[in-house]
Amino acid sequence: MANNQPTALERFLRGILPENPLYRQVLGTCPSLAVTNNMKAAMTMAASVAFVLICANLMTSLIRNLLKPHLRILVFTLTIAAFVTIADSFLAAFLPEMSAELGPYIPLIIVNCIIICRCEVCASKQGLFASAADAVGQSVGYALALASIATVREILGMKTWFGLPVMPGSFPAWGIMILPPGAFITLGLLLGAANWAASARSKPSAKPS
Amino acid sequence: MTETKRQSGYFAQAWLVIALALGFSAALAGVDVALRDRIADNKRKATFGKIPELVPGATGGVAMEVDGYTVYRAMVGARQAGWVVRAAGQGYADRIELLVGLDARAETITGLAILDQKETPGLGDNIRTPEFRGRFAGKKTDRPLQPGSKTADNEIQAISGATISSGSVCTIINDAVAALREKLAAMAEPGL
Amino acid sequence: MHYLTEYILIAVGAAIINNFVLHYFVGICPFIGVSRRVDMAFGMGCAVTFVISIAALLSWTVTYYILRDGAPLTGVIIRAVTGDPKATLDLSILSYLVYIFVIASAVQLVEMYLRKFIPPLYKSFGVFLPLITTNCAILFACLLIFAKVVGAENPWGLGQSLTLAVFGGIGFTLAIVIMAGIREELDHCDVPAPLRGPAITLLIAGILALAFMGFAGVSGGLEKLLGAPQ
Repeated sequence: MANNQPTALERFLRGILPENPLYRQVLGTCPSLAVTNNMKAAMTMAASVAFVLICANLMTSLIRNLLKPHLRILVFTLTIAAFVTIADSFLAAFLPEMSAELGPYIPLIIVNCIIICRCEVCASKQGLFASAADAVGQSVGYALALASIATVREILGMKTWFGLPVMPGSFPAWGIMILPPGAFITLGLLLGAANWAASARSKPSAKPS
Repeated sequence: MTETKRQSGYFAQAWLVIALALGFSAALAGVDVALRDRIADNKRKATFGKIPELVPGATGGVAMEVDGYTVYRAMVGARQAGWVVRAAGQGYADRIELLVGLDARAETITGLAILDQKETPGLGDNIRTPEFRGRFAGKKTDRPLQPGSKTADNEIQAISGATISSGSVCTIINDAVAALREKLAAMAEPGL
Repeated sequence: MHYLTEYILIAVGAAIINNFVLHYFVGICPFIGVSRRVDMAFGMGCAVTFVISIAALLSWTVTYYILRDGAPLTGVIIRAVTGDPKATLDLSILSYLVYIFVIASAVQLVEMYLRKFIPPLYKSFGVFLPLITTNCAILFACLLIFAKVVGAENPWGLGQSLTLAVFGGIGFTLAIVIMAGIREELDHCDVPAPLRGPAITLLIAGILALAFMGFAGVSGGLEKLLGAPQ
């Protein structure tokens, strides 16, 4: 076993900001646009992704020695599909309004590039603990990313946060924020801000202006 | 030699996929058996749970099909309290599905609930608000409803900026009432 | 006329009014990744349309005849096994597993076909061809068809499902080619450094989505024009 693999702690910490799945790797963009018009839906999606990611990583890590090169993507996808079905059934049973609001975007977690990427990069090569840490770190990072977009969209678009009013009544709600254009523009600007923050940190002595 | 080795390699890989597929299918079947009733219950509650607010005082309903519409006889205990009709039609953006409550003789609208709509957020989707839905309560069914003034008998004050959505709700209700009015009045329990 | 109305409404709805990329937010990854040049974007759009059609065909058939509650093939088998003439088997819990299997197989078939018969096209696609498996748009089309077939009052037939799939793919192609055209022009512009790449693409997609929002309500008008579908 190669010893140049990151440790479990490194995997966990990297997943939150430095290798943030949405802002640094630009993966999982579909749900980050579709379900972020309010915080409740965004957090339910983040929790579902966390569940599927952790279970899929653990399962893949368990069978990593049985994987063969040609069919491994199919194995990952089958595993993910099974856990997504379980998550979808649980939501339909215990949170029916959320299930109706999130609609087809829960099953779309199956083709969410984040999970397949983590299975491929980490879980198929490292043990259970490192895979679990990686999954938790990436989930936290993704939840933070979804929360950032949903906060902007909900506060500006509906004047609430988690359903609680937070803006003064005289503020006109920016309806565009709840609609598709608002989603694209918010994510684009936040992604630009993340890129700027990352490059500013890596070049502390900036070029003379 | 390498050819057969590669072939047997593929075969070995396929065994893992098949085993996983069977294993997962069994697990999912278990999940389905455990949660199926709860999910069906939730679906039921989405419509039956609205009957008390559509026909005031009703405690339950009996579903039936009348002329292609799903209709619920709203009951208070063993006596009928009114009717709830499920209707759908084209809104501004996509289909609108709604439940409209009628009194036992189908002469007055007693309530309105929107089941599904994809109207413009902030404008058309205000048809969900209690404020808009309350405008239908007490309207008579003898003449078709249309968007207009607040006070006229067969007119509903539309949502500003969402005239088409408001008009679509009226049209859906008008079509259902026109089709079912006489039949429901005839089917009402005697003495109502 | 009424028979065609439904198909026209589905087609226009899937391609333009409820565009897969700009309204439903599916297929964003290739939309951002492959939209740098018009010819590559068009090729990707055609490939996705092709795979969506095959996937929709296969998934509708499996859903209608095997998976749903009351499906003919499973009904025959379960009635033979249990001897109960009214028994039905609801296999819809397995639909996600089956769909992803169908999509992976469809992509594999397309890959093998291209490698054998059109090698230069296969080479130009490179790694993007297997990545079509993870394209949300294909699974999304299968899920839409599932919603219209299982538990619906008038379950969709093969015709409606294929119309949705093909025109959904055409809508995706439309969006990605428009984006590629704009990005080719962007190469001559001075985009600020943090915004280069995915960020500026998303901002432009927002403006495109705003433009496509103008089509909302067209389906209502079309229905009035053509007469309600029977």
